[in-house]
Amino acid sequence: MSRIVFTVYCLIIYAFLLAPILVVVGASFNAGAFLTFPPQGLSFRWYGVFFNNEVFLRAIKTSLWVAAVSTVISGIIGTMAAIYFVQFAGRLKDGVRIAMMAPLLLPEVLTAIALLFFVYAIGIGTQTMFAMIVGHVLITLPFVFINVSTSLESYDPAWSMAARSLGAGAFTRFRRIMLPLIKPGVIGGCLFAFIISFDIFTISFMLKSVGTATLPIQLYDYLRTNFTPEAAAVSTLSVVLTLVVVVVTEKFLGLRIHRF
Amino acid sequence: MTTGSSHRHAPLLLIAPAAILLFVFLVLPYLSIVVMSFRTPGQGSPYGEGYTLANYARFFGDSFYLGQIANTLMIGFICTLACLLLGFPVAWQLARGTSRLRGLAYGVVLSPLLVGIVIRSYGWTILLGNNGVINRSLMGLGLIDRPLGLMYNTLGIVIALTHVFLPFMILPIMSAIQGIDPSLESAARSLGASRATIIRRIILPLSMPGIQAGCILTFVLSLSAYVTPSLIGGSKVKTMAVSVVDALVDTFQWPFGSALALGLAVTGGVIVVLFSRFTRMTWKAN
Amino acid sequence: MTEVSIEQLTKDYGTHRAVAGISVRIRDGEFISLLGPSGCGKTTTLKMIAGFEDVSSGAIRFDGRDVVNVPAERRDIGMVFQNYALFPHMTVAGNLAFGLEMRKVPKVQMQERIARVLDMVQLTSHADRYPRQLSGGQQQRVALARALVIEPKILLLDEPLANLDAKLREEMRVFIRDIQRRVGITTVYVTHDQAEAMTMSDRVVVMFGGRIAQCGSPSDIYEKPSSIEVAQFVGQVNLMTMVVEERLADDRVRLSGPLGEAVVPNPHALRKGERVTVALRPEAIDISVTGPGQSATVLSSHYSGSLMDYRLQLADGSRIDVQTFPRQRFAEGDSVHVHAPADRYWLLEDAE
Repeated sequence: MSRIVFTVYCLIIYAFLLAPILVVVGASFNAGAFLTFPPQGLSFRWYGVFFNNEVFLRAIKTSLWVAAVSTVISGIIGTMAAIYFVQFAGRLKDGVRIAMMAPLLLPEVLTAIALLFFVYAIGIGTQTMFAMIVGHVLITLPFVFINVSTSLESYDPAWSMAARSLGAGAFTRFRRIMLPLIKPGVIGGCLFAFIISFDIFTISFMLKSVGTATLPIQLYDYLRTNFTPEAAAVSTLSVVLTLVVVVVTEKFLGLRIHRF
Repeated sequence: MTTGSSHRHAPLLLIAPAAILLFVFLVLPYLSIVVMSFRTPGQGSPYGEGYTLANYARFFGDSFYLGQIANTLMIGFICTLACLLLGFPVAWQLARGTSRLRGLAYGVVLSPLLVGIVIRSYGWTILLGNNGVINRSLMGLGLIDRPLGLMYNTLGIVIALTHVFLPFMILPIMSAIQGIDPSLESAARSLGASRATIIRRIILPLSMPGIQAGCILTFVLSLSAYVTPSLIGGSKVKTMAVSVVDALVDTFQWPFGSALALGLAVTGGVIVVLFSRFTRMTWKAN
Repeated sequence: MTEVSIEQLTKDYGTHRAVAGISVRIRDGEFISLLGPSGCGKTTTLKMIAGFEDVSSGAIRFDGRDVVNVPAERRDIGMVFQNYALFPHMTVAGNLAFGLEMRKVPKVQMQERIARVLDMVQLTSHADRYPRQLSGGQQQRVALARALVIEPKILLLDEPLANLDAKLREEMRVFIRDIQRRVGITTVYVTHDQAEAMTMSDRVVVMFGGRIAQCGSPSDIYEKPSSIEVAQFVGQVNLMTMVVEERLADDRVRLSGPLGEAVVPNPHALRKGERVTVALRPEAIDISVTGPGQSATVLSSHYSGSLMDYRLQLADGSRIDVQTFPRQRFAEGDSVHVHAPADRYWLLEDAE
């Protein structure tokens, strides 16, 4: 009896978790001019509208670009930091971890404000994408760091030593031995970074320059004044895009931790 | 000796880029908020010349902002509690479940993280609005005559924020429970403990670090959430984070906005520190 | 081939001195073991020879050339690790090829060398397997093959048999020793297992607390240990106090003690009546019902298949351990006689 109650309780929570997402996807197929419920028939009308909407298309492009650039940067910096953390930090380990996780532990709003003031104080301002990308790198860095560190924990330092004894220099050891063995962590971390960056709102909102609205910002601006299902269509496409990134990464680069 | 010493310092090159990035673009900017909060308000520019305590005086002297902080904290508490009550059973089920549907359930828990926060908040506006799915359904069923006020109030914000941050509660608790040796549960059962007793006396105390991490994460995130309160609360209910961003972006009051932000951050920080002290004590006492 | 010479080698970790100025000369083609309890500095010494640890002071010479400042990857060593450290993402052949690729060996020659070494370790049919598909003993042989295929100057082995079960361990001792003889490579072998060191090595270096306690052939170490510590580490030992009875003509002394008479060399010019500590291995003692020897009582007996271990009490109340073949067995409480040949005792230099 108690088991059934427990299972039902959990099912309700799963439904709660999915509800808003399903509702958005459902609303995107609404044929009516407004978000009404029950929907006035099914149609792809709003997808058509979206594909002719220059603003949203540009926002998606901006989002993809910002996510790609910041993923590459935090992928490299975060992986290097994770290698230091696991193999060399020694007594500094706790300090390094806290510092690397700090961007995630600090409120995003505060970080956004801090960066805003700072880029103006040093005269860079928000005329370029620089400030926004720095913000995205800060927020995505911990995800790369934590993923790579985790896969490095199961990396045996004796592998590097063995490679050394066989005559491999530092770069060869990294390329031939360590990188292939921590690949799932690096790719997983970068995938996380990409998705997170694609979703970052507050930092982009505070640090955007004219004409560099990312998708979440464009969507937010739109939602403040409009109630057509076009936003739902955009959202659905964004969700699908995220899923495609996950699946393609899984398929071609391999996410699963291989058991050697 | 040259090779030896250069070898020893080479690892520092690995951490250098991250260290420089964090120092220049995190430490220095946070210092600049502190500095900014003491600037004089500007006329026609975000801030003026010289320094003053006026921003803090205005903040502490205005019952509107103090009330808003109280309301924001209350939202944070309720969300954290709701996430804990909803999240713990799911975390336990995910950690200990043997069903083949476990992978699917895990995907459901992760799904909100894959869907942008704007989209999720938008979903809640569709659900909670006066013409939204919930009100329309209830009216259609004849259960209510007039739409329930689910949006543009604190209730709506709490519901949506609970949803947004639930994964951040579930995941740390789940990994904490996974770290508990299942043989402890078998041992407790062999000693005659009921399922409820096992959860109360074994699982709960041992998963305390995960619970603690989840609570802190949820609380901090809900205090600083901007999009969800802004979309669900509209212009009627504002949380502190919304006021801060408005003061900075809409009205360009940088010094005052900074004072507000720091006020919120310090209050939240104090609560987190007190909370972790308190829970660590009870957890060790167990 | 290579002669390794270690001179005043020291390693400090902060204030802790892990290796305290040890010197050893390893001859070309020699198999030498570093034997000692954990923390004695044997692994640190090996890592310094390999180049994985910086040297605090002292010199390591390969054929007279100091390699202290040569990084590990250019020392031309072959190393076998305790957990084998096989690259899990490469096949057996891939693991073996790695070191040859680093040396830019031409493809054809590479395959030839890999085939030859795989044949030597009897794993030719496993070339395309991944390490996870091999048993512990097979992985061990791959690790050895990977170290040997590059034809290094010296071979270093860090407790390579520690993770194998008892039976396999004994087989591998013979296997490794055999291959080492065939290749004729200078070898340093680290172990805490005295039986391993005894059966495999040309010479054993016993280390305690970062210092060399004794260096010598296995039989020297076992039969003439320089200290109680060494004696006890390489096997069981009975310690007893004896009195000098008489100085013999050939610079030896005759002693008397609870078990009878002993004749030992006299390097310290002992005089009649002096008391000294001597040692006697349990298996040097004969045990019988009727004698000859002193009478004793059996306190306990343990059967371990090929051997019997007894603890006996002598007439004066002192206790000794005796090890015999189980041809004749005695039970607790039995009265027996014990006797040891006078030349099986040795004088402990650090005693008294």
